[in-house]
Amino acid sequence: MSVGRAFSFPPDKREAREKLRKLSWLSVASLMIAAVVVGLTVGQSQAMKTAWISDILTAVPPMALLVSLRYELREPSERFPEGYARAISVAFLVTACVLSMIGLYLLFDSVMKLLHRQHPPIGTIVLFGHQLWLGWVMIAALVFSAVVGYTLGKLKTPVAEELHSKALRAEADMNRAEWMSEGAAVVGILLVAFGLWWGDAAAAAFISIEIVRDGWKNIRQVIGDMMDESPTQLGERKLEPLPRRLRDEVRQLPWVKDAAARLREHGHTVTGEVFVVPRHNALGADELLEETERTAAQLQRIDWRLHGLMVVPVRALEKTSPPRVAQRAESRDAAD
Amino acid sequence: MLRFYLLPIATLSLALACGLPRDPEGTLDRVRGGTLRVGFVVDTPWVTAVRDGAGGIEGAIAAELARGLGARIAWTHASETPLLTALHDGDLDLVIAGLTKGSPWAAKASFTRPYYVDTTTMHGERAEVPHVVAVRPGENAWQVHVERMLEVRKNELAAMRHAALRSSAR
Repeated sequence: MSVGRAFSFPPDKREAREKLRKLSWLSVASLMIAAVVVGLTVGQSQAMKTAWISDILTAVPPMALLVSLRYELREPSERFPEGYARAISVAFLVTACVLSMIGLYLLFDSVMKLLHRQHPPIGTIVLFGHQLWLGWVMIAALVFSAVVGYTLGKLKTPVAEELHSKALRAEADMNRAEWMSEGAAVVGILLVAFGLWWGDAAAAAFISIEIVRDGWKNIRQVIGDMMDESPTQLGERKLEPLPRRLRDEVRQLPWVKDAAARLREHGHTVTGEVFVVPRHNALGADELLEETERTAAQLQRIDWRLHGLMVVPVRALEKTSPPRVAQRAESRDAAD
Repeated sequence: MLRFYLLPIATLSLALACGLPRDPEGTLDRVRGGTLRVGFVVDTPWVTAVRDGAGGIEGAIAAELARGLGARIAWTHASETPLLTALHDGDLDLVIAGLTKGSPWAAKASFTRPYYVDTTTMHGERAEVPHVVAVRPGENAWQVHVERMLEVRKNELAAMRHAALRSSAR
């Protein structure tokens, strides 16, 4: 039984974890460059301002992830006997707060601009000796930012799958959806070009809603973590079959009469309890301990993420297993 | 990847074909061959009082805009706040008041690109003061037209400023 041992990634996953770290640094750097490029052209356009803040905000999750990566492998301490694997949840919490609050503020700001019928003034800029309408330069900056986000999303998805990293997967989805925000801003600027002033603030409102939506997804993840949700499949709300697999594996053992498993996620790791009813009540204490330890070691090998799994011998299990909660939201969640 | 490059090219060519950007309220079209409504605050040498209208460097800007568009000028003389409010509400097309880029009005009104950057000494430190004029916010075709004219006439406007400096030194 490991009370004070930290989780360590299996050798074949260490490379992926290193990649995750590098990708996070790359994200922060490239998103900051995109933010500077967009920021240079912001002017008095609300859509540009919102797209710019959105660019800066998308750098928050990789930063939070980088911080949590420094903590997650720490040895458990007297104060934190469960270890630091859940630092990842803290990263989700930070992201959730920042995105929701700023998203809501930007939404309010954009709607007020619409209600006050504020017409966005967009002048000219002199680039390489040519005097251009700033709107065209804004569109070019937005396209650049969209390409950066899309590429980052593409790079992150396979690494997230290999590590089964929900944090990285959420980031990848956010980056890939970023083109919608940039696209909305482009449409907004084009509408302004055609003399439709409301296009600017309307695009800004759309982008704000996207930011709030990203925040909401993170909040849902944090709540799931807090409530010790059973492990879920990457990027979906569907439950993983892992608890059932453990139970079935244990039930097949010769010394076991019945078994039940209860798992939860701790950051990148999965932990929990497997309750076992021994077949012979006459099993000696030594034998029982030996079987329990061997079973725990065997189960640990089923999935690399399992850590600190407990095998608990019990006299009997209640016949009723936990009821299945109706998953009314499942189909809707799979879509986003 | 190709579509990322097609988008800006397509928009630019479309823009040139349609004469974009356009004014939401059609200011440029209305001024062309019509009336240019200019509000002014006297601020020598940028704006001076000449008979019922404005002269000086920015007076020359208004005159040049009117000449280029074949418009006559309707002058309004008042202080900054009522003029910029009227500009925002669309009762004026242009305000000349010796405005600078650092003005507290910058966020509320629509200033053009600086047509001239003045160098002054403030509290013993050299400071650059970019001079601008104000147009009706959101009238982007009008703003582009004004800024193009300012860019083309940049050297002449600078020469007027230097001439004013020489005469005041004498």
